[in-house]
Amino acid sequence: MRDFELLEEGLALMGLGMGFVFVFLTVLVITVTLMSLLLRRFAPAPVESAASGVARPAPPAQQDEEVMAVIGVALHRYRQRHRR
Amino acid sequence: MENLVTLWYGSGAYNLTLGQAVMILVGLVLLYLAIAKKFEPLLLVPIGFGGILANIPEAGLAISALDQAIEVARPAVLHQMASALGATLDPLAGQEAWRATLKALVDNGASPDQLRAAKDVATNVGFGDGLLYTFYQVAVASGIAPLIIFMGVGAMTDFGPLLANPRTLFLGAAAQFGIFATLFGAVGMSAMGWMDFSLEQSAAIGIIGGADGPTSIYVSSVLAPELLGAIAVAAYAYMALVPMIQPPIMKLLTTKREREITMTQLRPVSKLEKIVFPLALLMLVALFLPDASPLLGMFCFGNLMRECGVVERLTDTAQNALINIVTIVLGLAVGSRLMAESFLALETLGIMALGMVAFAIGTAAGILMAKLMNVMSKMPINPLIGAAGVSAVPMAARVANKVGLESNPHNFLLMHAMGPNVAGVIGSAVAAGVMIKYLG
Repeated sequence: MRDFELLEEGLALMGLGMGFVFVFLTVLVITVTLMSLLLRRFAPAPVESAASGVARPAPPAQQDEEVMAVIGVALHRYRQRHRR
Repeated sequence: MENLVTLWYGSGAYNLTLGQAVMILVGLVLLYLAIAKKFEPLLLVPIGFGGILANIPEAGLAISALDQAIEVARPAVLHQMASALGATLDPLAGQEAWRATLKALVDNGASPDQLRAAKDVATNVGFGDGLLYTFYQVAVASGIAPLIIFMGVGAMTDFGPLLANPRTLFLGAAAQFGIFATLFGAVGMSAMGWMDFSLEQSAAIGIIGGADGPTSIYVSSVLAPELLGAIAVAAYAYMALVPMIQPPIMKLLTTKREREITMTQLRPVSKLEKIVFPLALLMLVALFLPDASPLLGMFCFGNLMRECGVVERLTDTAQNALINIVTIVLGLAVGSRLMAESFLALETLGIMALGMVAFAIGTAAGILMAKLMNVMSKMPINPLIGAAGVSAVPMAARVANKVGLESNPHNFLLMHAMGPNVAGVIGSAVAAGVMIKYLG
């Protein structure tokens, strides 16, 4: 008889626990979504626009070509070495 | 000659019991797994070594001053302790019988006052608590070590992916089914008469399915300290086995096409959102589940230190120096629970088996939840990231990424899988809080 009670209690704890975990995380999902919406509406991130607009001057074209050349040579060597 | 005999009687070789020998072997196996196979070496090296230390005969590193005195003290001291415990020793019985009587008295029957008096007797004649026993009392029995580790984990966790896609919290919730299914399994095994687990013990075993070492240790130190050694070893061993346990289940439950699903790029998350998140989580814990506040409180504290960006020195300590120190102490303390009487039992085998099942069920539940969410909503979710819902940060996310790459070499799921991964940490801490609330 005691065994049956133990099983029953286990089942109760399983239902209660799983239910609570889901409810809690659902509330968390709602909270997080609301929080993100509010924050993005009232305090839009200034950091990103600054980062993409000002902080990144275009790299000089010459260096770019140099880098491309180096990468090209490296690729070529790699392919030669790992030919299948 | 007399002295030689005394020396022999005091030697480890004379006093070594079979159980201790086996446990030293278990310790060596753990060290082998950690060093040669790289199984969670940061924890299994201290745990394995602590296990060996705890089983050195006559050294009493893992027992209290009182137990030590009972085991090795001179007869006069034994009589003193007996009178402190309110009993008399039968002069006709031998020393061994006296020790057994005292041990039985201490384990059950003596009042707290009597225990304190007996302990004073033991301390007065020069016995002290063993090193590992002290570590255990200070770090684990008080619950402090797992909580400090949780703070460090919080300081290392980036909630960005989770905030960018909050729905992945459901995956972390679903994967906690492993915990509760295992709890029911343990209860079922007891009902069938195969094992003898109480409801508290079953809950502590189930939490292995949370795949979260500190949470497992915390819960079992509260609900079932007697099983702590076996549970911690099972939890860390299986966390190391995640890359082997999960992929077959993931492949079984998903089709190739589902594994190839690419997910939309995550939106960038602002710093302010990351700062507010731990505070919002803390408020929810305070409102709905105060019993989870030790775990989640420390976790949120660590995360807030990380994200606020004004206490970098504290963050650095929390995620490096402090967590390392505590890991050493925690590992040795857990090792001290690997004592023959409690570890060499059928129950340990049961715990190992149930722990494996817990991982498997948690993984499966996460994947199935992801498939369900795919049916219900338009935004595609690769079911593989559901498997990362069992915490085991960041191993489970890496496994999801790897299995995804096998199907589609251009599909990087790592960042997407980190969402359910950290959701799993929150989920298992919530599950732990529910268990402690219900049973504590």
